[in-house]
Amino acid sequence: MINLQIAEILLFPGLTFFVWIGFLFDWLERKTQARMQGRRGPILAGPHGILQPVADFFKLASKEEIIPEVADKFIFLFGPPLFFAAPAIGTIFIPVLGPHAIVNNEFDLLFVLFILAFTALMATMLGYAAGGRWSIISVGRLVVQYTGYEVPLIVALVTPAVLAHNLSIDGIVAAQQNLWFIVRAPLSFIVFIIATLAELEKPPFDIPNATTEIVGGWMTEFSGRPLGYIKLTKDLSYAFLSALAVSLFLGGPLGPVLFTNSTLQSLLYFAYFMVKLFAVGFLIFTIKTALARIKIGQAVRFFWMVITPLSLIQLGIVMAVGW
Amino acid sequence: MVVGGPVLIVIADVIIYLLLGKLGKRSSGKGNKYQPFTGGEEDIAPRGLYQSELFVFATLFMVVEAFVLLLAGSFASPTNYYPLLFLMGGGGVILLVTWWLMIVGGVKF
Repeated sequence: MINLQIAEILLFPGLTFFVWIGFLFDWLERKTQARMQGRRGPILAGPHGILQPVADFFKLASKEEIIPEVADKFIFLFGPPLFFAAPAIGTIFIPVLGPHAIVNNEFDLLFVLFILAFTALMATMLGYAAGGRWSIISVGRLVVQYTGYEVPLIVALVTPAVLAHNLSIDGIVAAQQNLWFIVRAPLSFIVFIIATLAELEKPPFDIPNATTEIVGGWMTEFSGRPLGYIKLTKDLSYAFLSALAVSLFLGGPLGPVLFTNSTLQSLLYFAYFMVKLFAVGFLIFTIKTALARIKIGQAVRFFWMVITPLSLIQLGIVMAVGW
Repeated sequence: MVVGGPVLIVIADVIIYLLLGKLGKRSSGKGNKYQPFTGGEEDIAPRGLYQSELFVFATLFMVVEAFVLLLAGSFASPTNYYPLLFLMGGGGVILLVTWWLMIVGGVKF
């Protein structure tokens, strides 16, 4: 029984599964972006270039790791696996094959909120540990952006918990058996998607790693395996946040029950989950491709003046109406 | 597995990271190769100190927000055990990390 659970955590539907979803999202993002810009995108590694993100990861992992003279060596070298651990741990709280996740407790949403905060903090730490001038500028932008999007992100995540009267992701999924929370709290879903773009540093909020302004942002000094791990973490975070949106607003893997056989029904739940996951992923990378970068001041003003009030209004409506 | 699951993932993560380290070589030292990227300019700026109040407040905001969040989320807890655990574990980690950031940055109180 324990062996089975370990396999679930490390392989399917846990870590390895979400890493592959992250790679797939990376490839789809590049393909979508290329098509929208009249290019072909990756074509060489695997059919239609589908293995390009995997090839990129191993290429980076096999390159020389150069540790800058001014870097804090310990954090520079061992920060990337810690950075990766945050979304990796989050994946085991996401229900994929049915209404229950591999690991659950009555407060796992809180844990996920902590993970999101920790991811931003680790990025700040990594950038500051590197010590380069572009990293420092980027870290400043990262923290300022974080103070903008974090509050609405948390309010948007707490709204489903209030609707479900439950702080467990399993409980929130179960409460959407009849009606998805995207219908009952549409503003929270919109806020979550916008804050996700900021959390993932995607356009129009790619201010901390604006290539044309500050080279590679807080990742400028990283090379080889640490850089590969950082990029892998970004892909994994992408998959994890999309899966979180599916769980909190789109009913998770729940859908019509068509089979009495539990295995067949689990496969059906899995299919529902994947369709919803790719719909959210596609929404995020379409918005990302269609929009241009804004300035840091504009981003923070936008979050405090528009997005935070929107998230609070939705939370207020939910609490007042008592849905 | 509530505690075991995350621990398992961290162990697997570190093992894979160390194994991947065998693929490429690692180098550190002094000289041009190991200087931070300067964008073609000759003078290499030293690590910036935390002189900006805004940045200090921003990091404090992160700590305070985490504490408030963890306390606010404890409304449904049947005992004091969970909120205390979250405070000690989550808040403690964030506090230590932020402290590190401030010390490395040379913050002046």
